[in-house]
Amino acid sequence: MFPLRFRHGIPFVAQASSLWGKQASRLRLVSTGVTPVCPTAEDGCTTPLGMTINCMPAPAETISLGLPVAIDRIDRGLKKLWSESEGAMTRASMINLAVYSEEPDSLTQNTQLLARIAENHACRGIVIGANPHSKNDRIEAWISAHCHVGRAGTKQVCSEQISFLLEGAKVKLLPSIVFSQLDSDLPLYLWWQSKFAEPMDPQLWSWIDRLIYDSQTWRDFNAQMRLVETAQREAKQRIVLCDLNWTRLVHFRVAFAQFFDHPSSHHHFREIESGTIVFGKNFRSTAILFIGWLAAQLGWEVRNGKNGDHIELENSTRNRVKIDLQENGDAPIGSFVAHSSDVKFEIALARCGDLLEVSRSKSDQSPARQLLPAGENDSVKLMSEELMRGGQRRVYLRALEKVRDLL
Amino acid sequence: MTNRSAEQGVNPLREGLSTRAVPQPCAIVIFGATGDLTHRKLIPALYNLAADGELPPAVAVVGFARRPKTDEEFRNELGETTKQFSRQEVRDDIWKTFSQSLSYHQSEFEDESGYRSLVKRLDQLDEERGTRGNRLFYFAAAPEQFEPILKNLKAAGLSKAKEGSWARVIIEKPFGRDLASAQELNRVVSNSFSEDQTYRIDHFLGKETAQNILVLRFANAIFEPIWNARYIDHIQITAAETLGVEGRAGYYETAGALRDMVQNHLLQLLCLVAMEAPTDLSADSIRDEKVKVVRSLRRYRPEEITKWVVRSQYTVGAINAEPVPAYREEEKVNPNSETETYVALRLLLDTWRWSEVPIYLRVGKRLPKSATEISVHFKKAPMVLFNRDSAEHDQNVLVIRIQPDEGISLRMMAKIPGTSLRIEPVKMDFHYGTSFGKASPEAYERLLLDAMSGDATLFARRDEVEEAWGFIDTIESAWSNKDAPPLTYYPAGSWGPEEADEFLARDGRTWRRL
Repeated sequence: MFPLRFRHGIPFVAQASSLWGKQASRLRLVSTGVTPVCPTAEDGCTTPLGMTINCMPAPAETISLGLPVAIDRIDRGLKKLWSESEGAMTRASMINLAVYSEEPDSLTQNTQLLARIAENHACRGIVIGANPHSKNDRIEAWISAHCHVGRAGTKQVCSEQISFLLEGAKVKLLPSIVFSQLDSDLPLYLWWQSKFAEPMDPQLWSWIDRLIYDSQTWRDFNAQMRLVETAQREAKQRIVLCDLNWTRLVHFRVAFAQFFDHPSSHHHFREIESGTIVFGKNFRSTAILFIGWLAAQLGWEVRNGKNGDHIELENSTRNRVKIDLQENGDAPIGSFVAHSSDVKFEIALARCGDLLEVSRSKSDQSPARQLLPAGENDSVKLMSEELMRGGQRRVYLRALEKVRDLL
Repeated sequence: MTNRSAEQGVNPLREGLSTRAVPQPCAIVIFGATGDLTHRKLIPALYNLAADGELPPAVAVVGFARRPKTDEEFRNELGETTKQFSRQEVRDDIWKTFSQSLSYHQSEFEDESGYRSLVKRLDQLDEERGTRGNRLFYFAAAPEQFEPILKNLKAAGLSKAKEGSWARVIIEKPFGRDLASAQELNRVVSNSFSEDQTYRIDHFLGKETAQNILVLRFANAIFEPIWNARYIDHIQITAAETLGVEGRAGYYETAGALRDMVQNHLLQLLCLVAMEAPTDLSADSIRDEKVKVVRSLRRYRPEEITKWVVRSQYTVGAINAEPVPAYREEEKVNPNSETETYVALRLLLDTWRWSEVPIYLRVGKRLPKSATEISVHFKKAPMVLFNRDSAEHDQNVLVIRIQPDEGISLRMMAKIPGTSLRIEPVKMDFHYGTSFGKASPEAYERLLLDAMSGDATLFARRDEVEEAWGFIDTIESAWSNKDAPPLTYYPAGSWGPEEADEFLARDGRTWRRL
């Protein structure tokens, strides 16, 4: 019946077992170190230069939603939960993180995601599984906590989670039921995993500080974005829009930006003539966002993007920049190469996917190569990256405007 | 918008990606590259920066030292020690790439030709690795080597940057051993490098919680109105460690706790706690305010030193139930040593804000536990209503824990549940490690990045250092007199000598229990 889930910050199950006795059987071992997790069951992977990187297989996990609890007894249930574990555990919370999905089985999947996110981002998790099309009007709730050994290595640090299943007409009660469970004074981040649909409930949006979504999954980008923007306008406070498709690009953007940190390299901004971006299946929008970013920050204008294979832009000196789009592989962005008049700037993902190889080369010189972190196209990693960054999203909105018609 | 950014020398592609100044490509030359600091701190810090993607690819590290060694040997040795001391696990692939940026330059520090060949090497690195003429010289050598190194750097033209580039020097403490030697060192440094090229490193300032002191004070509206003599009774700053001299006896014998810790680390923490709000967050605005704190330290009259400064040395005792020898029995320590391993002071700042608020500092080796913290003790509530009968624990105390378990706690009074009115202190506690899953970078990582970005905020300025020595010298000179107060003793594993407790007792106060 004990609904606390334990997690250890370092892959060392023996120590955790001795600490937690019976509960150790519930301890799920997760790699949080730097050893990369292989995308498939391979022994290792290689960078484009042929360096070998050792990988470990991803762990398998099972999950439950915790203790069922009546809606009007959630507070009491949580108090009881903590009183049972007093002393050895610390409850921590920096944000309210609500996750909304209409996918079947999303409750368990999102509980699993939240358990991993909470390791680095202490939060009150509010996980909502909704089925607006159900003929039954039903609400169910569960409470649980995700625990891991803190960095100091003494106490368990725990984030609590309240899960809701909303069916039929009860889905409309989302704001009143769910948002009465917020941890007071903490910001509310809503991770919306479903399609946005009309009518958008203004009561809901008025509570939100950050709206997190993944535009990569949208079939009709402009229709969805219009709804998001309507919600943003109607909100009493300003919502920060956080697109995980934009988050996916962070490491590629950093890798490309670093080529131009020294002012003496800025002349290349005017001299970039062409580029090639390789993207994975279903990640064309990610690649276009990247081009939108370049255009927004370097003052380029899109001149012709209707051709599927390339986008033509015009730089600030009215010279043409042609970016080829190539679909290849599974990674959101596999590589990006830009050519200025005499220099080639190259970023390529290592095969195991957690490092980027960057190089800058002149035609008469051998390239200087470096490895940089690549991040991972994994919901937990993307969310962690997003939660860590904070700030406004002005650059995103500018990038979006540049390529809106191409998405 | 973006073209304007580029015209101003700002990389428009960095917008929104980083809130800190971006470190620039450079060659880092470490003098004393075979020493402990390089192996334990500097290279692991640089590796961690590289692994986190914070280090610009166009960075080259040149180890400058006397012992003959090939590049390959140097890299291999550093590879081993980095595995041992790095904050994160060392990945072979990242190390392999990072280590290509490491090379070794063998030369005596006094040998001019070694610097001429260094010039060639650095020019070559500019070509090969794109370090763009930027030079960061890190002095990890013994202080007595600083002068020849500086002279030779100047003679080789390395202290002056080429057009569009920069040259900076990082100096490790001790910045002298008294005011005269500090002034001399500063004179020697300033002969080769201007003040804005000079970065005096105090790793305490690179710690997350030390940086958070300013955030706590100036980003929260509730603290500043009560951060003064009207509401604060006194402040305690403690730096306790369980360790003894651990192989540093040679240095420690000539320094002692006052020079080793108080002159730099503790006075730096005091500055952050006591300074006025800077006009902006630029390095000089912050350092201007810090130096005013040191200037406002009330100098002791000779007779006050006996009363308000306690110096002590540990005798035989036990730490964590393990017996430990007396200081005088430690290896390479003079058996008749008079060096203090513990010092406690009562300070006063002559400012309106801090008028007559005592600030108690204590630092010691072989104390029962390792902890560095600042505690701000607020004045008692009026002795009416609930406080009529309470004698103990009746102050609110704000504690800023610097290390370990970085965090902030606030002690307040609360009613014990029940029908009777019983009041007890309770603690509101914020732990970095609990609230933030991500580990803080090591102090050296932050400070190296700052030096590469040209941000001197967390480095000590010449006037700060000299003012601090001026204050310390009044104590040291009193201690060297014939009628100096005698050295006291405390058993290893205790919280210091009785005399330190007594001087707080004279003020009607006690040290905070850690």
